Amino acid sequence: MSASEPTALERFLNGILPENPIYRQLLGMCPTLAVTGAMKPAMTMVAATAFVLIAANVIISLIRGLLKPHLRILVFTLTIATFVTIADRFLAAYVYEMSKQLGSYIPLIIVNCIIISRCEICASKQSVGVALADAVGMSLGFGLALGSIATVREILGAGQWFGVTVLPPDVWPSWGIMALPPGAFLTLGLLLALVNWIGQRRAESLALREKQSKG
Amino acid sequence: MLTTVTMLLAAGVLGLLAVIVAYVLGWANYTFHVKVDPKIVAITDALPGANCGGCGYVGCGEYAEAVAAGRAELNLCAPGGSGCAEKLAQIMGVEVGQSLPYRAVVHCAARRDQRLGQTVYLGEPTCVAANLVGGVQGCTYGCLGLGDCVAACPYDAIHIVDGLSTVDYDKCVGCKNCARVCPRNIITMVPFKAERMLVVACSNKDFGPEVKEVCEVGCIGCKACSKNAELMSIENNLPIIDYDAYESEEQFAKAREKCPRESMILVGKPSPKDLAAVAGEKLPDRVEADFKTTVDDTEWRG
Amino acid sequence: METLITLIQIAIGAALINNFVLHYFVGICPFLGVSRRIDTAFGMGCAVTFVISIAATLSWVFTYFILRPGAPLPAWIWQMAGGDASTQVNLSVLSYIVYIFVIAASVQFVEMYVRKFFPALYKSFGVFLPLITTNCAILFACLEIMKHLQDPMRLWALPEALTLAVGGGVGFTLAIVLMAGIREELDACDVPKPLRGPGIALIVAGILAMAFMGFAGVDRGIQSTLNAFLH
Repeated sequence: MSASEPTALERFLNGILPENPIYRQLLGMCPTLAVTGAMKPAMTMVAATAFVLIAANVIISLIRGLLKPHLRILVFTLTIATFVTIADRFLAAYVYEMSKQLGSYIPLIIVNCIIISRCEICASKQSVGVALADAVGMSLGFGLALGSIATVREILGAGQWFGVTVLPPDVWPSWGIMALPPGAFLTLGLLLALVNWIGQRRAESLALREKQSKG
Repeated sequence: MLTTVTMLLAAGVLGLLAVIVAYVLGWANYTFHVKVDPKIVAITDALPGANCGGCGYVGCGEYAEAVAAGRAELNLCAPGGSGCAEKLAQIMGVEVGQSLPYRAVVHCAARRDQRLGQTVYLGEPTCVAANLVGGVQGCTYGCLGLGDCVAACPYDAIHIVDGLSTVDYDKCVGCKNCARVCPRNIITMVPFKAERMLVVACSNKDFGPEVKEVCEVGCIGCKACSKNAELMSIENNLPIIDYDAYESEEQFAKAREKCPRESMILVGKPSPKDLAAVAGEKLPDRVEADFKTTVDDTEWRG
Repeated sequence: METLITLIQIAIGAALINNFVLHYFVGICPFLGVSRRIDTAFGMGCAVTFVISIAATLSWVFTYFILRPGAPLPAWIWQMAGGDASTQVNLSVLSYIVYIFVIAASVQFVEMYVRKFFPALYKSFGVFLPLITTNCAILFACLEIMKHLQDPMRLWALPEALTLAVGGGVGFTLAIVLMAGIREELDACDVPKPLRGPGIALIVAGILAMAFMGFAGVDRGIQSTLNAFLH
């Protein structure tokens, strides 16, 4: 590998925060908005996506020497579709209720831009170890993002977290809108602004400190 | 038995589908083939791919097509600079004329306290909005200082300093974005033949007394410059510099001396003399934002 | 007549009440990415509507004849192989792979066809076509159609499937054009710095989604009105 390609550790760490797929790259928005009404479906979604992402990244990395440039996207998509089918059957067999609740969003993992973009950027160019680290890091970043959105929405919308009551109904009049589609858009918009704001604040204070140290 | 048949059927269906699709697409590729000029592909690769629209085309792809068809000049790409123009010339097999770097120039020199007749403006803090309202400031030509150009600049090269848009010529690449958004059209692109260029920093077309009422520095159209420099003429009470014949700022020394206002200024990189004057002062190093990501490489946004 | 009412109901349901973007969250990527100007947004919407109808037709054909439980083709082969009629071959596990394959192939085909025969059209929305392959809205429409082909008692025919697809595409176009119109006006506003870009777009989408919630129940109203009119 050429020196400019990131190492496995860099790939792993990048995925969690600096290149967080949701907050930084704005990829894979459909599941982010659709299944974050509560923690349980969100975490199931994260697990399914992580499985597909890791499996697809490893397979693509293994066959990267055989890929033809103009057919690579088709190969990525078909590999992903195969693993999504496996994940879908697995969920239907063992957690039927959850599979029913997630419905069409499990098969929609096929067109989740995160997976294709990782196959394209990382797996089709680097070795299996790096691709694996990249997939795990991205999955963690995805889980972190979905977890944060689902936490806000479930607590504000139903006063619960993972189905456990945190805010009793007499203390907190549940905001029904948070569990409905508009709540998803609003929560993600505001969380995105929060992440940007923290980033900008940090950049400003860093610039200020540098200025002061320079005298 | 059921399992075997299902497996065989699954394999058969997928195999059959693959064969059919491959055949149909192969046939379509042959039948519907459209010849794409290899030049277009080569030109697209040579362009920076920033899609900034500075060339006047929608994106790099459209500019590449126009170049390949011979409809566009080779040196329109500002971010790519002369290196890019040379590459395009190689591909097209023609000589390229010297490509002058165009830079944005704000044709207004009045800082906040030099603009007269201002009122308190509490509306939407954008120039587009303020320009719709009368009476924000006396001068209806000058900079409003609310920073639409700052927001439009992808290179962080224009800022509001003391209420006036000021271009940072270390960063400006001449992409025209600021000129396009300015609702008063006071930003134009000037060919930079030297490090520093003389420009007319006023856009007020009114007569002298009216200008004096609204501005402390603006041009009053007194013609003192055009009488003292061959390359200057007056039109609509404003001096015009003939940049085709412009060679150096020395040609305008006398005109500048005679100008009673401060509407002719030099913009661009500071001269060695100016640098020497402030050599004693300690300046902070420029802080670059630490922006490390591979996001820009991805084409998967859909 | 009953069929017509059902079709109207499906169309309104797909386009307004359960809008693909604002209710099901599919096709968010182009909804946020290509909604800066109204004309490009409209081009994207038309391209999606066009591809969605082709993909829906193809996937209905595949699902109806091959993939659904009790589909005629595998049943025939099963009987040829000597299986007994009480069990049936179920190939629905293949659906996802077949759908994505069909979508990718049809997008490719449409792109080549349009480039050859309608150069003007290709110029205006050709750039969007490659983006559509990974557009969830298309796959989602196929999956919705598949859902309605699972129950042998109430099978959707082709018109229903096509109506859902076109309705969904029109709903997508409506949402993305509305969004682009609002975002063009947003350019003249002073948005707080951290919210600029996708942040404010998502909040606008949230408000649009609230507005679209107001369509709930419209289909039932139309149904009862039409029924009253007919009888």
